[in-house]
Amino acid sequence: MKPLVITGVGVVSAIGVGRQAFADGMRAAIQARSAAPPAGRPIEITGFDASTYLGDKGLRTLDRMTKLLVVAARLALHDAALKRDATWATSRPERVGIVVSNAYGSLEAITELDRVAKLEDARYINPSRFPLTVSNSAAGYASIWEDLRAVNVSVSDGNCGALDAVACANAFLEQRRADALLVGGVEALSEALILAFERLGALRDGARIGEGAGLVALEAPESAAARGAMAHASVTGYGTAFVAPDRQGALVHASSAAVERAVADALADARADPRDVDVVVSGVSGLRAFDEAEIAGIDSALGAEPCIVAPKVCLGETFGAGGAMGMLSALVLMSCPPSAADRGAPAIVVRGALRAQPRTVLVTSVGYYGNASALVMRAGSR
Amino acid sequence: MLPRVFVTGVGVVSSIGLGKDAFYRALQGGQSGISPVASFDASQLGRQYAGEVKAFEPRDHLTRAERRRTGRCSAMAVAAARMAIADAGLDPSRLAGPRTAVVLGTTMGEAQLLGGLEHDWIVHGPDAVDRALIPRYGSTLLPIHVARAIGAQGMVLTLPAACAAGNYAIGFAADLVRSRRADVVVTGAAELMQELQFSGFVRLAAMAPERCQPFDLHRQGLLLGEGAGVLVVESEEHAVRRGATPQAEVGGYGLSCDAYHITRPHPDATGSIAAMRAAIERSGLTPDDIDFVNAHGTGTKQNDAAESKVMRDVFGGRRVPISSMKSMLGHCMGAASALEAIGCVFTLQTGVYPPTIGYQTPDPECDLDVVANVARRGKADVVLNNSLAFGGYNAVAVFARPGALPPPAPYLGDGGAAP
Repeated sequence: MKPLVITGVGVVSAIGVGRQAFADGMRAAIQARSAAPPAGRPIEITGFDASTYLGDKGLRTLDRMTKLLVVAARLALHDAALKRDATWATSRPERVGIVVSNAYGSLEAITELDRVAKLEDARYINPSRFPLTVSNSAAGYASIWEDLRAVNVSVSDGNCGALDAVACANAFLEQRRADALLVGGVEALSEALILAFERLGALRDGARIGEGAGLVALEAPESAAARGAMAHASVTGYGTAFVAPDRQGALVHASSAAVERAVADALADARADPRDVDVVVSGVSGLRAFDEAEIAGIDSALGAEPCIVAPKVCLGETFGAGGAMGMLSALVLMSCPPSAADRGAPAIVVRGALRAQPRTVLVTSVGYYGNASALVMRAGSR
Repeated sequence: MLPRVFVTGVGVVSSIGLGKDAFYRALQGGQSGISPVASFDASQLGRQYAGEVKAFEPRDHLTRAERRRTGRCSAMAVAAARMAIADAGLDPSRLAGPRTAVVLGTTMGEAQLLGGLEHDWIVHGPDAVDRALIPRYGSTLLPIHVARAIGAQGMVLTLPAACAAGNYAIGFAADLVRSRRADVVVTGAAELMQELQFSGFVRLAAMAPERCQPFDLHRQGLLLGEGAGVLVVESEEHAVRRGATPQAEVGGYGLSCDAYHITRPHPDATGSIAAMRAAIERSGLTPDDIDFVNAHGTGTKQNDAAESKVMRDVFGGRRVPISSMKSMLGHCMGAASALEAIGCVFTLQTGVYPPTIGYQTPDPECDLDVVANVARRGKADVVLNNSLAFGGYNAVAVFARPGALPPPAPYLGDGGAAP
């Protein structure tokens, strides 16, 4: 792919809201100043109040996922200087869009409506909450709140969705469907999601599930230059793969072969050599079979044992937002001062020594069904 | 040079027929798939009619192992994919591997499965939730199941773009082929109607009692439907190399967002107009080249009025024939524009515009050349597939007789107001 530049960040996460707070939180984790949250317990974004960012009006009908995304979108537009003081500054609504992943839709809204339907009467379900049950609702609301009139695309590929969103955005930018796109993912914790993972016994091994919204403003370098925007980093390559389990009856499947091919394709797409990779921001989440497959796939593709970090140690598995949190973590690593890396082995480092200010970062995501995606990011605008 | 993208096979699971031949006969004959709801008890919900798929038996299309791990929505997608591949005459060995991708649209994927899990949890408590069923939920799974069925190892992607999902998926599938990221993409959409959606549309006061009558003065709203429409799209060189007969060419597509209201189309239809103009422009055409429009045509007052405005704005005084398949199928939500895309392929292959059945009284606000009640023969070189969706989504795709479009070229415009 032709490199795209990241010109802004919008994030709502358990370690901070906004680019600076997220970077501070991630640096604290890297410097091992913050302990990993206890295993098993969901990592909630405590104290999140959308009205702080959006005002009081119009929030009543929105679910948590939508609020997380709208706040992240607003922050990203301002961080990228596309907007200033809630007004378009260096672009216009017809030329800015959003491509955003979520894995499970609004389980909050679906459960709420199902409760009314099952325990009371389906005729009483709240019509203003019904639109939330479609998976693209959060992205739709983000467009309404922020007046984004170019492409509005929701992506669903489980844990790989946010990296796949970058692939979609790349196609849309290549075709000049927008000048800038907010790209990433969102997922919200809900009773149903927590219950599902508890029932599956998936939280026993040390895995944590979390929530958040992460977006980057992505654009072609010439478009960013034309409006005088600063590039924080570039996205230079993408790869994805699906490998089915051998056993016909199996459904859940951790595929190292898929990871290997996704990484190899991403590197080829970036015209990068495996030796260029300074650090891998992985999707390692505490689910042993998936973590092992991911690391094995990365190692085979790179022919080496690179330093691997796992932001999910402090953010939890945020599913559709996972790849976005990986991209944002990569940005923090790229700007991490040398002293930060010299303090022993922080919990988020899975393996190896984290070198200061890596230039080339590989971001990986692994799905639960044999799918995997990978992204190559480079520091600076080239 | 960018490769042309051809549709070489289609597969259909619908309320008016399984498989291309039955579906095409029904489209030609103006057959209704609407009947009283049978898959759940709708007697107390205020409305009772929908376009349910009644004849589909997963065991006729899926292996036992596949059925054990697959929800009904995915089963419809797998069945339609198998039909499409057979229709394309594609040898499975050509599909196996990383150069084949699967991109599907849906609104809610395995919503019925989720509804069952939620029922057990809400009514009987958390311990009653069958943990074996949990991993089968997720719209992510639709392309995964299809990829497994056909041996695809490339991108597996769901674009949950609500009621425009089919056009989104087909458009992006064509992008993958045009940018040479895939040789073959199995694409389209699937949707299974379930009680929660049904109740939701009733509560939005959007559902008609018995008949969906798009563009009619006395239209009373939409009816829901369900189904799966899958298309095999491939590059011209791949199709030529294997001696395939292209059925249609996928042209450009336009996407935009109203940024106005989560369920209602913008009354000025500016986004929808921009999307339609973009689809035409990105196909290297002008509005004069369009022979027929396969409408979104839900049968609600607002949609049909807004869509009529789009037609007037884009085509000026020229009355381009338009028709809504939703009069026969109901609104199949995520699957709607995929089934309608197959309707476009039907038109291109047969020169027949499918009818809008139940059309009785013209509405001055919808002053259109509606293909009323009986199918009509007409020029069919280039057709448009129009779709809108919750979220303010607008997606319009161009389909053409193979070779009728100018050679695809990179878009060099500045977008203007037309993304």
